[in-house]
Amino acid sequence: MFLRLVKGALFRQKKKMLMIAFTIALGASLATAMLNVMLDVGDKVNRELKTYGANINVLPKEVSLLDDLYGVSDGSGVLSESELGSLKTIFWAFNIVDFAPYLNVKARISGRDGEFRLVGTWFANHLELPTGEALDTGINNMKSWWSVEGEWPAGDDASAAMAGSIAAERAGLAVGDVISVSTGGGNGESVSLTIKGIFAAGSDEDERIYVPLSVAQGMAKRPGAVSSVEVSALTTPDNELSRRAAQNPKSLSVKEWETWYCTAYVSAICYQIEEVLTDSVAKPIRQVAESEGAILEKTQLLMLLITILSLAGAALGISNLVTAGVMERSREIGLLKALGAGNAPVSRLILTEILITGVVGGVAGYFAGLGFAQIIGQTVFGAAINIKPMVIPLVAILVFLVTLVGSVPSIRLLLSLRPAEVLHGR
Amino acid sequence: MALLDIKGISKIYGSVKALQNIDLAVEQGEWLSIMGPSGSGKTTMMNIIGCMDKPTDGKVILDGIDISAESARNLTAIRRDKIGLIFQQFHLISYLTALENIMVAQYYHSMPDEKEALQALDRVGLLERAKHLPSQLSGGEQQRVCIARALINYPMLVLADEPTGNLDEVNEGIVMDIFRQLHSEGSTVVVVTHDPEVAEEAQRTVILEHGRIARITYNVGRESRKGE
Ligand SMILES: Nc1ncnc2c1ncn2[C@@H]1O[C@H](COP(=O)(O)OP(=O)(O)OP(=O)(O)O)[C@@H](O)[C@H]1O
Ligand SMILES: [Mg+2]
Repeated sequence: MFLRLVKGALFRQKKKMLMIAFTIALGASLATAMLNVMLDVGDKVNRELKTYGANINVLPKEVSLLDDLYGVSDGSGVLSESELGSLKTIFWAFNIVDFAPYLNVKARISGRDGEFRLVGTWFANHLELPTGEALDTGINNMKSWWSVEGEWPAGDDASAAMAGSIAAERAGLAVGDVISVSTGGGNGESVSLTIKGIFAAGSDEDERIYVPLSVAQGMAKRPGAVSSVEVSALTTPDNELSRRAAQNPKSLSVKEWETWYCTAYVSAICYQIEEVLTDSVAKPIRQVAESEGAILEKTQLLMLLITILSLAGAALGISNLVTAGVMERSREIGLLKALGAGNAPVSRLILTEILITGVVGGVAGYFAGLGFAQIIGQTVFGAAINIKPMVIPLVAILVFLVTLVGSVPSIRLLLSLRPAEVLHGR
Repeated sequence: MALLDIKGISKIYGSVKALQNIDLAVEQGEWLSIMGPSGSGKTTMMNIIGCMDKPTDGKVILDGIDISAESARNLTAIRRDKIGLIFQQFHLISYLTALENIMVAQYYHSMPDEKEALQALDRVGLLERAKHLPSQLSGGEQQRVCIARALINYPMLVLADEPTGNLDEVNEGIVMDIFRQLHSEGSTVVVVTHDPEVAEEAQRTVILEHGRIARITYNVGRESRKGE
């Protein structure tokens, strides 16, 4: 009979129940969308921020000093290209998003005056890692904000080059031109390269011509050598511990050291890079590394606030609808009481109805929310949001609580109803 | 001992004295009418007898229990077990069929029993309307469903507040037939009415005025008929 009562109430008052279910669905969909986006926004924001470039620079030990003094390295680097894959084997391997090696060579372009600065690098490199995984990395990822005329060279194109806008102007280069380059004295063998793209970076990179790393190594006669590596890593904002560690890791106690090592502080990641690359010095490019973490935290806080507010709104809406529903049904409820139903059975009946409506609304809302999350992902980040299964129990609990809290006023109203008053229309 | 013994009850709403010092006893098996002008306290008295309200003063003894001293929870139980209520407006649950409306009363009383509920509908001549919703029934039919519901748990006391107030003559006749039958089966019936013809059917008519019993008339014709 209880079931018949509930069924009757649900199916023969479809409109009202659908309205409540709709409100719950709205709240649930907001919660689903916001939670999914919030949990995924870390990756997204980081990926956005990464477009501002690398946040760690790795140099060979002896060059590091020169670089500190003059801001240039002369290509006498001793980092080994073959070791680079091990960057993805450090404790924070997962946080290393991208990296690109560089090798500088001074060269002449036949038919043009003066020396040009050639930089060997990976445009797009497919790397088989020692761990068995594979990684695609290179400056096409790292320098995604460059505005490029023409196109990014393919990773396996050994005769492609990209000229910075200033260098291109100086040498009168256009996309599609074939150039012949050779080192300093003109006695080295010349290599012919096709200009695939001309880029504007808005920095001194515009004065350079980027060539495949193997080409630069060949011209410099330093096979396998790399003069510097730029690394883009996801980091945790610095705190007092990480600042102390950055100054001198040895000043930490064992416990502090462990905490530091196992936190994605930029200094800890640098330290771990130095551990795997022989004779290297890794230095954070500070400002960016710090702001990434801070912006991320603020974004997440903002989203959390919006989620809480939207849920509070939903609770209020549900509360209003359910209360209105109960008031409309006060006669019916008074009648049930007059027929001998106590407060407990009546509350149970109303709660069951609301909870069933809540489940229907919640499930519908969850799926609608997944849709909203994707819309947010596409419009804000231009990428799909990863769906986190953990959101399901969260939304379920939230919907349950919000529905319950929303129906408290109506249940109280209902308990205070006196059959004598409602049944005689007073 | 009388089934219902009202001893000096008053009901006061703020400055309104709805009932003042009423004394009345109703015997088992009696059919009593209550008449009186609007606002004289008829409904107030029915609510108190029907365990839906408490008197400000005085005692009401129903089947040996002082219902003026019981808690709301106990009153609900007493109402459920001993009283069948019929209202002027036909209070049915709009989303339940005629049959289900009757079964609800069974459900909160003890156990829903579809067969018994169908018999009750048959008794008020609505067997073929069992699956209809209240909105698909005429006023008279709705009131008959209410009566069937009030009787389903074999109440020792049937209280009807203007049961025919909203009915035409034909339906009034049908409803009165049901009351007559109830009475002949030994039920105790209290009916509030404005209709003298309806009141006359009872053995006794109590006339209220300004919350007091103005007079009591005995309907001799009914009395003799009872003995037949
Ligand atoms: N809950 C209440 N609060 C205040 N006054 C009330 C309340 N209930 C009834 N009254 C007053 O008590 C008096 C008796 O009301 P009651 O409903 O018993 O009259 P009645 O005899 O049933 O009238 P009617 O024939 O119009 O139904 C009226 O004056 C009414 O205004
Ligand atoms: Mg009345």
